[in-house]
Amino acid sequence: MRLHQPLPALEALERFLAEPGVAEAVAVRHVVPAQDATYAPLPEWLDPRLVQAIEQRGISSLYSHQREALDALREGQDIIIVTPTASGKSLCYNLPVLQEISADPAARALYLFPTKALSQDQLAEFRSLAELAGMDLSAAVYDGDTPAPIRAVVREAGQVVVTNPDMLSTAMLPHHTKWFQLFEQLRFIVIDEAHTYRGIFGSHVANVLRRLLRICAHYGSHPRIVCSSATVGNPAELAETLTGRHFRVIDRSGAPQGERHVVILDPPPLDPRSGVRPGPHWLSYRAALSFLRAGRQTIVFGRARVAVELMLSALREAMREGRGPIDRIRGYRGGYLPSERRAIEAGLRSGEVLGVVATNALELGIDIGALDVSILAGYPGTIAATWQQMGRSGRRGEASVSILVAGAGALDRYVATHPQYLFGASPEEARLDPENVHVLLAHLRAAAFELPFAPGEHFGTAPADDLLAFLGEEGHVRQAGDGRWYWSSENFPASEINLRLGAPENVLIIDTGPERPRVLGEVDLFAARVLVHEKAIYLHDSQQYHVDELDWEERKALVRPVDADYYTQAELAVTLKPLDVFAPADRPAGSRQHGEVMISSIATIFKKLKLDTHENVGWGRIHLPEMELHTTAWWVALDREAVGDWRRDELDAALVGAGRALQTVASVLLMADPHDLGMVAQVQSPHAQQPVIYLWEAAPGGVGMSVRLFDRTDELVRGALDLVAGCDCQIGCPACVGPRGESRLDGRALATRLLRLLCGPTGATRSGPDVEVAA
Amino acid sequence: MEGIGVGQLRRSRLERLRDARVREAADIRRPAIGLPREDRATALAAAVGGIVQHTPGQPIVAVEWRERMEQDLSGLAWLPEAVDPASPFVLIDTETTGLGSGTGTLPFLVGIGTWEGPDFVTRQLLLPDQSDESGYLDALEALIPPDACLVSYNGRSFDWPLLVTRYRLHGRRPPTFAEHLDLLPLARALWKHRLPDARLASVEAGICGVSRPHDLPGSMVPARYLDYLRSGHAAPLRGVLEHNRQDVVSMALLLRVLARELAPVAQQGWAPDSVHPGDLGGLGRAYARKRRHQEALTCFDAALERLTDAWQMQRYEHIAIDRARTLTRMGRREDAEGAWHAIALEGGQHAAWAWLHVAKHREHDASDLAAALRATDRARALAERGRLFGRRDQRVERDLARRVPRLQRRLAARVGTGRSRMR
Repeated sequence: MRLHQPLPALEALERFLAEPGVAEAVAVRHVVPAQDATYAPLPEWLDPRLVQAIEQRGISSLYSHQREALDALREGQDIIIVTPTASGKSLCYNLPVLQEISADPAARALYLFPTKALSQDQLAEFRSLAELAGMDLSAAVYDGDTPAPIRAVVREAGQVVVTNPDMLSTAMLPHHTKWFQLFEQLRFIVIDEAHTYRGIFGSHVANVLRRLLRICAHYGSHPRIVCSSATVGNPAELAETLTGRHFRVIDRSGAPQGERHVVILDPPPLDPRSGVRPGPHWLSYRAALSFLRAGRQTIVFGRARVAVELMLSALREAMREGRGPIDRIRGYRGGYLPSERRAIEAGLRSGEVLGVVATNALELGIDIGALDVSILAGYPGTIAATWQQMGRSGRRGEASVSILVAGAGALDRYVATHPQYLFGASPEEARLDPENVHVLLAHLRAAAFELPFAPGEHFGTAPADDLLAFLGEEGHVRQAGDGRWYWSSENFPASEINLRLGAPENVLIIDTGPERPRVLGEVDLFAARVLVHEKAIYLHDSQQYHVDELDWEERKALVRPVDADYYTQAELAVTLKPLDVFAPADRPAGSRQHGEVMISSIATIFKKLKLDTHENVGWGRIHLPEMELHTTAWWVALDREAVGDWRRDELDAALVGAGRALQTVASVLLMADPHDLGMVAQVQSPHAQQPVIYLWEAAPGGVGMSVRLFDRTDELVRGALDLVAGCDCQIGCPACVGPRGESRLDGRALATRLLRLLCGPTGATRSGPDVEVAA
Repeated sequence: MEGIGVGQLRRSRLERLRDARVREAADIRRPAIGLPREDRATALAAAVGGIVQHTPGQPIVAVEWRERMEQDLSGLAWLPEAVDPASPFVLIDTETTGLGSGTGTLPFLVGIGTWEGPDFVTRQLLLPDQSDESGYLDALEALIPPDACLVSYNGRSFDWPLLVTRYRLHGRRPPTFAEHLDLLPLARALWKHRLPDARLASVEAGICGVSRPHDLPGSMVPARYLDYLRSGHAAPLRGVLEHNRQDVVSMALLLRVLARELAPVAQQGWAPDSVHPGDLGGLGRAYARKRRHQEALTCFDAALERLTDAWQMQRYEHIAIDRARTLTRMGRREDAEGAWHAIALEGGQHAAWAWLHVAKHREHDASDLAAALRATDRARALAERGRLFGRRDQRVERDLARRVPRLQRRLAARVGTGRSRMR
């Protein structure tokens, strides 16, 4: 058989699945049926120049969701668009913005994107549409890279200003009088990729938007808001929490979709006893090679830079053997030059580039056209990101293939064995809590700096008076003779806020690799101990760095780039004390609660784990002070009678195992990073005198995850039971109840027993759509 | 109601945070007891020796100072900056609650200096409370006539934009004026060469002999006002007012020095003996930046005339260089060559570079390749000596590396074809 033989994607898939060693890894095959396009006519009120511009692109009508968006905005509604990748979301806001400007050139719009790369890409898209319409208007990116002379021009004349929340918070809002032309005439705020505004970042951004809307009100404008988001379980709630407005959800996509064949591969364990599994890269590589040899345009997503580079060079090597087109296989990740990236993107659109191996730098909205095959080497962490990456393949009228190769981690395994989460209605909720008191106070300071507060004035959904009085005690604000609260400090509060961090005090991470050391980023003090302790491997922008020194007093971590085949994982010894219970409720065999807790923790040791197999290859001690964290937590307490006949060591293993499984499932439900939620299991809680499992939020003050876990406890406990009971390991593995350590007990059986108790007599029931499970 | 729920949530979270603070024994400040608006202004006026001025909006405090100072500013017409001496000069300086330019930085004191007959009058507007700002802005606007020439020290990038922000914040248009003369860039050009820096305090001391033994450091100004707002203690603000008044008066003194001694130099072709040659050089450069080359040349000439000894010539070599460049820009190439030659012979820091200029003129203007080559020899000798002393001049070395081979090539070609014009 010839190595390189053009084949349609589906035939190539069959050929790949028939390869030795592949069939036994297939966990799921699922066909997402094709969907025909639903069109709607262009609205008659659309400016003829815009009609002409669209027609020049070969479009004579809109998709139904685009028309729905246009009509809703025209009626003055705020909307959130939740349709798949490449369904023409940007037209939903670009057209109304251009229409508004064509009717009134004084009109302005503000576009917010979470990253700089996305800003540039979307600006180019907007400009090309405006050019086709023959509209001469000023649209510009305003971010940290904008040169000073251009900034003044953008401030005065920019009709469409494209920026990010960080820039809005520190450079625009505190100087709003210099932007008065923009704020006076602001008609639209576009918030793209809204699902990325979750957790602590989302809680900050929600407060930045409160400040923005307050400034708009001061200048007498009431802009409409357009959000767009990847599919999440709670789009309306997300948009409403983020902005304080009520939203119309537009989620019925009219865009056509070709048939999509989704295959989930779950490589079997290397050693069934220990449950150690291979990483996802070998199978991903084999799949990619198979499709590339069939001449199919293929994208492979890896989770880390090292993995991407390894797969890339292996693919090129293999293609060389068969005299394949090695130049047509490219890498794409953070750290590539923008020009390089643009060339790869263009090459993908034209077909010049056949295969690309990328990190999630390519995940968000960047236009590369549609490919034939997408391969995900490892679960990207959220279902939303999974669909965004899979959405990279799929041409109109042709079948496309998406392959997810599960990695060895617990989340990966959970998704591989519970495909209903992937194919059913999304269980993921983007959670944020604008009322996190630390975040709220930081932004209230900034807001008072921007404009004085009238007595009784709302910040968010409630009056700010109490909070302002509190700030008054600190001396930051002061109530003047007219009863209003004024900023009364020399400080510049917006510069003290880092939107991407929870706590105010941060450790700077300094890269000593280049000739002139540069600041890579910062982490909050609490996280610093586990992320940048000495000898840690710190990941930034998919590059690994070795921490040479952590200067705790100076709050500095000195790192240098390395290429290591392991990562580090630090262990925290945690004690937990509940401070306040918000709500208790009964459960079978115990109770569920959520409330505020005090966590004292000390980093003890770190382990070195191999990148692909998570095998332990070494360890070291960490010497850092103990710290306290005030945060929110969810917990289940077991009645002592219910576990009265358990041996203490068995109960301990059961609590830890069940806790780990609960932690995994909670991460899935709440789109959380594994280190956003901590877990503590106590056989005899000093406070409740009961066995308790706590899940606590790593962000100081919490971001609203605990209350949702409380509401969704049933789902959470059942999910954990499913995970543990359904695992194909023998007595517990890293993917279900966690690494086994020295224990000789059957952790899986014990955790299953405990979770059954918590589920009650109804036991575990799976919900979700029917999925054809191959195994 | 959702609002009530959130309100309760906030209160409970805040209480816990407050408890934590109390446990940490944090310094908790009680809010100031508010006086009625009128009383506040009256108390403030009494404390700082001012009067309460009633604006349509709110009461504010005004303080007025008068002193004899002749207004003799006609000379300013010849400054490099376009200034009309007939327009009313309005000197302006603000004191603020911080150095930032955001909307939370409050200019709480504005000092305005004007001439009234034989008197120089400083009027200071002081804000009794943050809530009185609208009346305060009224009062300020009344002091700035539309044909005014504003005079400030760094006011173009700091004081004025800050005031514009205040007007915008109140939804008003900022006052208009005819011109704005910012003295900071001029002071930098004219005097920084003989002063530690170009801060107003350094310039007034070095140029006008002003000394402020008891002056309040500018960095302490914000705290004094913020403390007054909280506590009502107004007496410490006297130091702030005095500081601000001196700033305004110093600007007036600097204007006088400019008008009498410096601005007329270019016009009359000479400078009083008291004027430092370096100042004249700086003035020339200021003209040169505005492409007023004739005036620049006059200043450079006046400066060089009074350089008496070799040490001074070397110290102010850059003036001679600027003069040579100006001559080139004016198209006076022969004079320019003469100027470079003089610099080269002086043997200063840039002598090698000057020889290269001589070479350039010899080669291109006079087509005298041999003389050009001799000039490069001189440059090379100086450059080599410099290198022995550890002072490498890469600019000279790069130029030599290009120029010398080219000259040799051209010379050889000329000798070869017998068209030598060597003398």
